[in-house]
Amino acid sequence: MIEKTDISKEDLLNAYRNLVMERFLDKKMLNASKQGFLPFYIPLMGHEAIHIGIGLAIRNNDFFYPYYRDFGAVIEMGIPLDMALSQVFATENDNALGRSMPDHFSFKKYNIGAVITPVAGHLTAATGIAYAYRYRKKEGSIITTFGDGATSTPDFHVAMNFAGVYNLPMVFFCENNQFAISVPTYPTENGAFDQTYMETRGDIYKKAEAYGFKGIRIDGTDFVEVYRQTRKALENAKNGPVLIEAMSYRMGPHSTADDPNKYRTNTVPEGSAKDPLIASQKTMKDMDILDDGMIKSINDEMDKKTTELVNKYEREPKPDKHTMLDNLYEEEPWYISEERGDVQ
Amino acid sequence: MTMVKALNSALDNAMERDDSVILLGEDVGTDGGVFRVTDGLLNKYGKERVMDTPLAELGIIGFGIGMAMEGLKAIPEIQFQDFLYTGMDQIINQMAKLRYRTNGDYTVPMVLRTPYAGGVHGGPYHSQSGEAYFTHTQGLTVVTPSTPYDAKGLLLSSIELDDPVIFLEPKRSYFIKGEVPEDYYKIDLRKANVLKEGDDLTVITYGPSVPLVQNTVKKNNVNAEIIDLRTLNPFDINTILTSVKKTGRVLIVHEAPKMFGVGAELAATIAEKAIDYLSAPILRVTGLDIPVPFALEDYYVPNERRIMEAVNKLLNYQ
Repeated sequence: MIEKTDISKEDLLNAYRNLVMERFLDKKMLNASKQGFLPFYIPLMGHEAIHIGIGLAIRNNDFFYPYYRDFGAVIEMGIPLDMALSQVFATENDNALGRSMPDHFSFKKYNIGAVITPVAGHLTAATGIAYAYRYRKKEGSIITTFGDGATSTPDFHVAMNFAGVYNLPMVFFCENNQFAISVPTYPTENGAFDQTYMETRGDIYKKAEAYGFKGIRIDGTDFVEVYRQTRKALENAKNGPVLIEAMSYRMGPHSTADDPNKYRTNTVPEGSAKDPLIASQKTMKDMDILDDGMIKSINDEMDKKTTELVNKYEREPKPDKHTMLDNLYEEEPWYISEERGDVQ
Repeated sequence: MTMVKALNSALDNAMERDDSVILLGEDVGTDGGVFRVTDGLLNKYGKERVMDTPLAELGIIGFGIGMAMEGLKAIPEIQFQDFLYTGMDQIINQMAKLRYRTNGDYTVPMVLRTPYAGGVHGGPYHSQSGEAYFTHTQGLTVVTPSTPYDAKGLLLSSIELDDPVIFLEPKRSYFIKGEVPEDYYKIDLRKANVLKEGDDLTVITYGPSVPLVQNTVKKNNVNAEIIDLRTLNPFDINTILTSVKKTGRVLIVHEAPKMFGVGAELAATIAEKAIDYLSAPILRVTGLDIPVPFALEDYYVPNERRIMEAVNKLLNYQ
């Protein structure tokens, strides 16, 4: 498999280290949320291989428009941890001054779009960005991610249609974790207590065909596979759009406000073969990049590092309240100037 | 030239000087738009810059937002304002909020053009005056011209702005004529236009209601000061207060329904800031609080009789 990738063993090992860091950080950020340091948090467990694979695949000229569950992808792309964690913990150093919920990144200088909460709300903008890339003859392609629930929205279908009509250089990447909060994606066995209701009866990847381009389904639990398929799609996107459906499983709750025990049995417990951490370890071992000793030492290192990080960021100061009224318009309206007096 | 031609001239000027300006929308290319605002521009600027889109307002608006995020100046046309609502999520949650929620990391320099209000007997779905939906959305600049001259100057100023603009074109005024320079010129978006000076009362109006107010005031020899807002949000508070303090009587005229409309905000702001100067209650003459009826539109919109009743009530108020 290594022969088919154009990256070094060292890159893959670093990617694996980021994957482990994401797993540990996720647990500790969830814990920070339970302790009240984060008012809300969106768990990542089950998505790590997708995130790391996408992050590895994106090159400097590509543009990434993520959704709200893509922390590891941003880290693997090389965004400084300080930028990402300042955003997650809404500190005074957040470039958006703590205005959005955790994982709602906006890093324009790194070609990362502004994450929006309403599901699929960014997909039509991603098509416009792809058009601008082609119009300006810029190198690179656009990749945008979304969950399986997003494929039920008008935004998904309109964006897919526009991408097909204008033959845009972009990759639609569906992170199918098999649940839109409590509703199963497909009427198949995935531990859902009730399979009367679902997001869709038709395979998501096949929906591309109706819009005039290709869709593929891949294994989203092995980051090397995700990397290979995503890189290939980004390179081919110059000839037109591609839809990737990456199969994974949301191993945790949807958010800190969700209790999955109400609606499903967890069919992918931590440490099982389909856990992306375990699946990726197996691939790395098969490639002779990783052994049990390294697994243990990387775990120990990341456990310690992430504890230190979370301890640091959960105590960082929040943005100055006087910044709250800044930057609504290019030129401040008279009523915003008046409302400054209301912030004491 | 007509307002349609003035708008076409503005788009032409903007596209000529800046290749980042791109038009998109339903039927804007080969057909030149159903009201002909984009007529001839496809031939002059090509398919990459004048784009016919699939029939999906959500897509047209979202696509434009993406272009703007990448530094292009997207000017989508929504064929009728009534059809814009499938893209309302994009307007409220993406277009209006991007600058704020990213603290300026991204901006949306985009002008969303759309014809609004009555005048073509279009019934409930070709006649709506939805400006209050936009004026109540933080981050949007809402502009509406009343003359061909203003249409061109305000559109060019809107295109230069580094913020999203909802540009509402009064379709009942599309074919009124006026002097319009061929050359590029701008009009201050933050400044209302005092159309006529007067002493007895202030009439605040905008867009489709401006010609009606002007004609009514002239015909009945009313010594009224007429203010055309031009921009509804952020509106020009200083011009309003200066006039109100002079006349002490205020009439607000708009075609949109009254309840919770733009007039309500104007009236409340005037009351908060200048009630001591008022000699009478603030009155509104507006569209009725119902959807626009197809057969009876003429009874729905403000008219001379209703305006004069309000004027006389204000002038006779003790």
